[in-house]
Parts: sequence; structure tokens; C-alpha cells
Amino acid sequence: MKLNRRKFLKLSGAGLLGVGTLTKTAQALAQEEMLKGPYDKDEWIPSCCNMCGGQTGILCQVVGGRLFRIKPNPHNPIGFSNISDDFFANAAKEGAVMCPKGNAGIMALYDADRLKQPLRRTNSKKGIGVDPRWKAISWEEAYTEIVDRLKKLRDGGEAHKLLWFSEDHSFTHPQGDFCKLFGTPNYSMHSNLCDTGRKASFKILMGDERPLIDALNSKYMLIFGWNPLSATKFSHLPRIITRGRERGAKLVIVDPHFSYTASRADEWVPIRPATDGALALALAHVILRDNLQDQPFIDEWTVGFDQFKEYVKDKTPQWAEVITTVPAERIERLAKEFATTKPALVDVWSGTHHTNGVYAGWAIGALAAITGNIEKPGTLVLPNAKGGKHIEVEPDAVAAKTLKEPRLDGGKDKWPYFHKSGVYMEIINRLVDGKGPYQPKMAMIVFQNLLMSVAGTKNAEKALKNLEFVVVVDTMLSETAEFADIVVPGTTYLERYDLNTHWVTWPAVGLRQPVVKPLFGQPAEYEFVSELGRRLGLKEANGNDVFWVGRTSGERIEDKKRWYEEWLSRELKEGEPKITLEELKALPGATWVSPNGTKYHKHLDPVPGDKLKDALIEGNLAFSKKKDGTKDKPMGMLKADGTAIHGFFTPSGKLELYAAKHVGKKDAAGHDLAPLPVYEPREWQPSQEYPLFLINWKEASQTHSRTQNNAFLAELKATDGLRINAKTAVKFGIQDKDWVWVESPYGKIKMRAELTEGIHPEVVGTQHGWGHWAMGKIAKGRGAHTGFLAKTIACPLSGQSLNKEICVRVSRA
Amino acid sequence: MAQKRLTLQETVDQELGRRSFLKLAGIGVVASAIAALPAEIVEAAENFTTKKKFRYGMTIDLKRCVNCEACTAACKLENKTPPGVTYNPVIEEEVGEFPDVQRRWFPRPCFHCEKPPCIDVCPVGATYKREEDGIVLVDHDKCIGAGDCIPACPYGARIFDEGKNYPAQETEYGNIPSPEFHSKYGLREKAKAPIGNARKCTFCLHLQDASGQYTRPTACAETCMGKAIHFGDFLTGRCIGHGCNLNELITHRKWTRLKEELGTEPNVYYLL
Repeated sequence: MKLNRRKFLKLSGAGLLGVGTLTKTAQALAQEEMLKGPYDKDEWIPSCCNMCGGQTGILCQVVGGRLFRIKPNPHNPIGFSNISDDFFANAAKEGAVMCPKGNAGIMALYDADRLKQPLRRTNSKKGIGVDPRWKAISWEEAYTEIVDRLKKLRDGGEAHKLLWFSEDHSFTHPQGDFCKLFGTPNYSMHSNLCDTGRKASFKILMGDERPLIDALNSKYMLIFGWNPLSATKFSHLPRIITRGRERGAKLVIVDPHFSYTASRADEWVPIRPATDGALALALAHVILRDNLQDQPFIDEWTVGFDQFKEYVKDKTPQWAEVITTVPAERIERLAKEFATTKPALVDVWSGTHHTNGVYAGWAIGALAAITGNIEKPGTLVLPNAKGGKHIEVEPDAVAAKTLKEPRLDGGKDKWPYFHKSGVYMEIINRLVDGKGPYQPKMAMIVFQNLLMSVAGTKNAEKALKNLEFVVVVDTMLSETAEFADIVVPGTTYLERYDLNTHWVTWPAVGLRQPVVKPLFGQPAEYEFVSELGRRLGLKEANGNDVFWVGRTSGERIEDKKRWYEEWLSRELKEGEPKITLEELKALPGATWVSPNGTKYHKHLDPVPGDKLKDALIEGNLAFSKKKDGTKDKPMGMLKADGTAIHGFFTPSGKLELYAAKHVGKKDAAGHDLAPLPVYEPREWQPSQEYPLFLINWKEASQTHSRTQNNAFLAELKATDGLRINAKTAVKFGIQDKDWVWVESPYGKIKMRAELTEGIHPEVVGTQHGWGHWAMGKIAKGRGAHTGFLAKTIACPLSGQSLNKEICVRVSRA
Repeated sequence: MAQKRLTLQETVDQELGRRSFLKLAGIGVVASAIAALPAEIVEAAENFTTKKKFRYGMTIDLKRCVNCEACTAACKLENKTPPGVTYNPVIEEEVGEFPDVQRRWFPRPCFHCEKPPCIDVCPVGATYKREEDGIVLVDHDKCIGAGDCIPACPYGARIFDEGKNYPAQETEYGNIPSPEFHSKYGLREKAKAPIGNARKCTFCLHLQDASGQYTRPTACAETCMGKAIHFGDFLTGRCIGHGCNLNELITHRKWTRLKEELGTEPNVYYLL
């Protein structure tokens, strides 16, 4: 550490600088003078981040056409609070926040390894580590070849053989619309790698896919398999959770890994992976055994309580201790604390990426139901996430024909809780084995790095090799781009538009807008898609040239950026904000925030009489009608006096502890759907040969597998090794920093062992996203990718990818 | 089974105590040298406490800090610091045994000490504490890269700029000056200050207006995800941008300063 002067001078090559300038005061004065510069006089352009899917509000300072700084946007609630009272009263005073990734956005924009022009592969051979032998081509060449391929498919009646993969929160509407007008049912996006399992759990329980936690007002937070203080997709989470604790809440984290959230919690409950459902059932057992439930709430607002109570009767803490490794007396205590502290919240996110995951999430949600901790301040709250409105397009006759083909993944006929994002794992498996309803020929892959995100990397490789033509749109030459026939440069979030419906509890829409021009003159993705649509001559059923015609002016617009501005304007105008794009831009922070803030007890809200008049009634439930008069969405529950209240949007209108609709139905694997939130051991269990659970998680410093080439972020945390409990390591003869082989039946990776006391002894794990072999100079060669060890399997209820269900053996390399 | 929780005092001792910090930062040798700092140096440092208009400093609420490192990244973004030059890292350690394990951390900016031991060790007088607001700076017009100040800081808050660059330097990013010292040193160029100099946190001095007031908080405080870092003026207690009062916080909350025994009197208080 200590360097002598000579060494310093040698190192710096700056030995003569400053020597002899010893007039300290003069220098200090000169320096003072410099401090009066114009640094806050330049314009700060409001926008939204997209370093992850959280869409935090940002302010960007651009000087001379270059991005100079980014700072938090206090007009946008996502970076402050998910509760409106808190936001309206305190955001201006306290200021919003931004995560490290948001602060590192400048390095994504100016990444030296960014793809700058379209490339065509000249090596017909494809595979991991195979050089595509890229040849730079013009945009015209790229468009011509892509359109030619697309046209052949469509003209040959094979439009459905186009697969499209995209992000789930960026320009999805033009892509989805393109697919519809082109004629493929196979538009899929990221969500099924993320939280479609959780969505299914809560859909069963409460008919809503995404309840949010009101941490700020809570007195007890019981969180399973979630790392919200570090994996901070919603950037307000650290603030509201630490505030909740400050105001007296206890934070309990159930996780096999001692995450940063667990580290900041009052209590860490280490648990054997995939047994969270068993723990939840045992907690319910204690609550009901000791009569600690909220019986009036249960009587009024749940169905299936008796069946549920009967089911948990033998799910004793002792039973759960054997399964979960959580001591029975601790389960007893946690159950009593949770049930007797009000208000309490319970939640779970991607800890349920396992074969019992949907039921486990449902069991966890049931804890909220039996204690009445739903839709009250400080509990799980159903958000009102109304934002821009997607203006649906009508496909023409050609497209309509191939749209009737089934999705390659089987869609909602196969998966009881199918989500519109599709089932990547099923798509990959069918591409590999050719046993789908047809064999797709072409894929458009927009900002999806399947090689790094799909469970079972070797399968992803085979799947992509089985496609005739692959187009990748990305800012980086990702691992997946290496399988492309043509790759075209995309834009970063600082170079394009989007509308972001924010994940707070009341409606808010933030604008993302280009703060700098695309660095290489490339089109933004919506412009790219529009150009394809124009060249293909895709039209709506009524002949409308949707990719040419501005959606507010109705005029044919040559300039595709202007065309998209009208697209967004119409979505805003017909959506919740009811303003134009220009009006949104002019709002403080370019964020529209509904003045009708957070609402609790929404299940008690009356359904307006005029809506009810046109409703379709089934039993005591009211539904809205589709254009053709058939049942559309749930609207409310009828009361004896003929009026109706909102209720929950389940088949019964209540919280379902027993799902009657499951009886007689099967999941995608052919198993009977259970009508109760059953605990069943996950499919892949440790064996003598592969004795350890392998899990992975997210931390604040990276997003999925897409930010590892970011220079700032790589400096925060250079890589991750294999975290292994120190005692377990001894058992396998492994010392800290040893290179180890991590092997499963599907593959073998080399990792650096990191001994810790902060992981369950039966578990090894690592931060997801490392192990790139492409993407860029920084990302390459750091850490290892656990996808090689995973089985390509989806949750049979939801289609959620199960990237965390892996067993391995570990040995010194 | 209840987990063992440390008492407040134990947390103070272990989380911020000298031994634990030394182990973490790997600067044990340095600190033992400082422990024997001659009394006259400490006295000299006292002279800097006069004629103050402001006493800028921070409170860092360790109950709110979640170790996200947004402060570290925000500092890099704001000051355009090169690889290896990190003004505000988060120091972390793990203690205990499974399942009674704890992980502790704290962000570590420069503390802009009242009695900074980094100043008088400089052979050319390049490092100084501003009388008017207490900010400790390196004058890059004078710094010769002697490096004596680096081990003199018992907190490891000074870093040598070896002249490394991010790959982005070859892009448009290379044409963006650091706003540090109001871009006085212009674009980053080989063999030009501050390359070859000691560098450190300036409390984002360039965010001050002509009167010495801040118009926005330091980048680390502004971005902080838990709103744990409050930056402001201890003479009035005024916190910049977070609507609280620093003096009220240190009056009502338990706090500690790192290595109090060295007499450096840091202007950064860790709230416990």
C-alpha cells in the first residue's frame, strides 16, 4: 500500500507537474474562481431509466449533445414510494432515488463494445464458441434480406413459423401488433423468466396478478424468497422497507441465502430450497390451531376455509421442521408473531422458481387471507396500474388464417395459468425435439439473451441452431447474437421513447424519451419494426396502413419517429392520463400521476349502476361483455339489494383458499390440478451423486445477464463465485478461493469457491448473470453461468422458467 | 429458535470498531503509524477550525443503508472518476456462524475531518482544508504525486490516480470533462493532472454556488436508495435536499464516528 515518492513519480509519469508551485493562497483563490461555473444551468431532460425493468424516473443533463449526468426524478413516484400519501407529502422534500445501475447508465450508452452497424454472418456453422465471421452490411441490405425472409414465410402461409422474443416493458405494443398483422401467434416476452409463477399464485388466491406490499405502514413483514433491498427492481423498495422498520415493523426474511435483505432484517430464517410452501402451511396450522385467525374476515371474504383448515390440520411445525429444516419452535413463534401483529404483510417473488412454486406462493398468500391482511394499510395491496391504452389492431384475412394456428408452446390450452409472455422453456424444448405442432423457421430476438437466460444453455444452443433464420436486435453482440444470421444494432433507453405504467399502488405513467440521438444513426426499435411493416405492406383488416398512418392525425407520416410519437399520444389520450404526448412532456418530470391516490379496501367499492346495467350476470357475479356479447372481465359481486361491490376477481368473487375450478383439470405435465395450496417435494431433489441444491439470485449491482459489460458496475462487484457454507466446504475438502468444478447431469462449470456462513449448509449459490463468453471485453470471462447445469423445465401451471431447480456436486478443480 | 442479536454497544464496537475496520480495509499498518501522530500536527490541524461559514458533513444512517452501492456509482457518474479511483466505497464484512451470522457495512466517503492527518504530511502543501466550509481538497496544480497523504489517512479515503481509463474513454465519453473543480482540469489526458495525483472526495464541491451554498446534495446523498446519507451544514444543521436537520439527528440518535480515538474529529457521523 505504502509507496515511496520515487515510485509514485515513476508510476504517474508526472513527476514534474506542480513542483515548485507553492503559492498556496493564489492557487486556492484561482480554484475558488473555478467553482462558480454554470453547472446547473443546463437543461435536465426528464425520462425513465431502463437499466432494469423498474423504469425509475430520471433527469438527464445533456451538454453539447453528450450525456453529462443523470440524477433521480422526484416527480416520478417509482423512485420514492408506492403509496400516494407518502409521495405527495414527502417526495419534493426528500427527493427520489436511483440505484447503482441507474447511475451507471452512462456507461451503457457509451459502452465501447456497442454494436454499431448491421452484421451478416458468413459462417453457416452455428454453435457456442463458433465464430460467426461477421461481415458489416448496410441497413438497406439488412432490411432487404430480413423482409425477403419474412415475406416468403407469409406468402407461403407459414407466418406462424415466425417466433418473436422481446423484453416485457419496452416497445412491446408495436412488436405485438406486428406479429398480429404479420400472422404469427408466437409473440413471447421476458415475463415468463421472471414472475409468472407468482402471478399464478396470486391469480388463484385473489384474482389479481400482482399485489404490492405497503411496507411503509406495516408492523410485520414476512418475506419468502425475495431480496427487495438489493434486487431493487422497484427503486422505492429500500426506502419504504427501511422506513417501515423505523416505524416499528419487524422484518423477517425466509431464504436459503443470507441476502442483503436478510442481512438488514430483524431475522433471517434459512430454509431448505423449495420448501417454502411447507413452512407457510405449518404457519397456517399454528394460526388456526391457536385460533389466531381473523374469523370475521375469513367468513366474509374467503371460500374454502373449511377444506383449507382440514388440509393444514396435520401440517404441524414438527412436520415442517423435517421438510424445511426450520426448527418447530421457531415456526410456532413466527406464526404467533405474524398473526398477532397488525397490520402484517407477507409476500414472495422469485423464490418460487421451482416445481411446487405456484402452490407455495398460494400457501404464502393464504397466510394474508386468514389473518385479514389484504387491502388494508400495511398489508398486501392490489395496485391500480392503469396507464396508456394499447390500441388493438385487426389482422387482415391472410394474417387471421395463420393466427388460428396454436402457439408453439401450447398456450392457454396447455398451461392452466398461461401468461401472454409465453413459455420460453417449452418453445426451446419443441425447437429441439421437433415435436411441436409445427417446426418454426425464423426468429426475431429483440433484447433477449436466450443463451444466458434459458434454463439449460445447451438446449438453447440446439434450439437456435434448428431455426433457418435468426435476427437479433441488441446493443451488444450477446451470446445469442452469435447465433444470428443478421444482427442489427438497437438503442439504449437514453436514445428512444417509451411509456411506462408505473408499479405503484395508484395510476402513474412516466415518459421515456430520447435524451441523445442514437449514437450510430440507428433506428429505435419501434422504427425498425415499423420499417419492416411498411416494406411488407402489412395492413389492418380495414386496409389501414397502420405502420404508416399517424394514430392521432390519421395522416401518412414518412418520419418514423413522428409516427411513433403519434402512436404514444393516442395511447395516452385513450388511456388513464387522457393527455397528449406533448402534454406529458410538459408535466413536471414528464410524469403523469393520478391525483386519485392509493385506495385500500377496494373490494368493498360499489360497482357503478350504469356499468352494472350492461353486465353479464352469472350466479352472484357480474362480468363485462366483449363486443360479441360473451363474457369478458369480472366486474363485481351482486348483493341482495341488487347493487354490486367490487369483490375479488376470482371465480367466487372472494379470496380462494380452495379453488373449485381446479377440480378435474390437469396441468401441463398431465398432473391433476390440486384445489388446495398443496406442498409436494419439488421434482429434482439432491441425490448421492448430486448432493447439493444450487440456487441463484439477483443483487443491486446487475440486471439479469445484460449489464455485465458495464464498466461502473463491474467495478462495484467484479464477479461472483460459488457461495458455499464453510462447514459444507470442509466436508468436500474445499477452501476459500479454491477453483471448484460444479457439475450436474447437464453440464459442468468452473467457479471460484467463496466460503461463507451466510448460506444454508445444503445449498450452494451464486448471483445470476455472470459467465459471459461474448457481449464485450468487460463481461467476458467473469464468473460462471449456471444455465449450463439446469434442466429446460417450466412450471407446469404457469410456464414460469425454473432456473433455480438444480442439484449439483462440487469438487476441487 | 431465536437468533442471537447483538446489543447496540456490541454493534458499535464490532461494526465500526477499529479492529474490524482495519481488517476490512487492509490498512492496519497505516493506521498504527497514525496512532503515533505527533501532537503538534494535531494542534496545527486545529487552526483550520476558525473563520467558518459552513461546516459541511454527513450523517449516514446505518439502519437505512442497504449496501446497494448506488452512492459509489453515483459518485463515479458525477465526478467521472477513472477505474480504481472510488471516493465512496461501501465497506463490508461478515461475522458470526451459521445461522447466527451478520453482515455489516457502511459507505465510506472522505470524512473531511476537523483535524485531518492528511494535510501536513504533504511535502508541497497541495492538500488543505478550506477555512470557510471545512472541505478537505487536493490542489492538483500543486500535487506532485508524492503519495504521503494516502497512508496518512486512517480511513483509506485517498486514492492514487494511476492514469487508467475505462474502455468508454475511446468513445464520446472521453470528450466529457469531469465536473470536479468545475472542469478546471478539462478532458482527461495522459500525464495531465489529476493523473498521477492523489484524489479524494470533494463533497461534490462543484455543486456549490458562488456563496458556498449547495443547490443539490452531493451525488451520493442525492441518489441514496434508503435515503441513509444526509449531507448538510453542521453549523446550522441544514440538510441539503432531504428536508431534515443534521444536528437534530445527532442529538436524538445514537451515533459513532470512525476511529474516534485518533482525534481526527470526522465530519461524518454514522447513525446507529
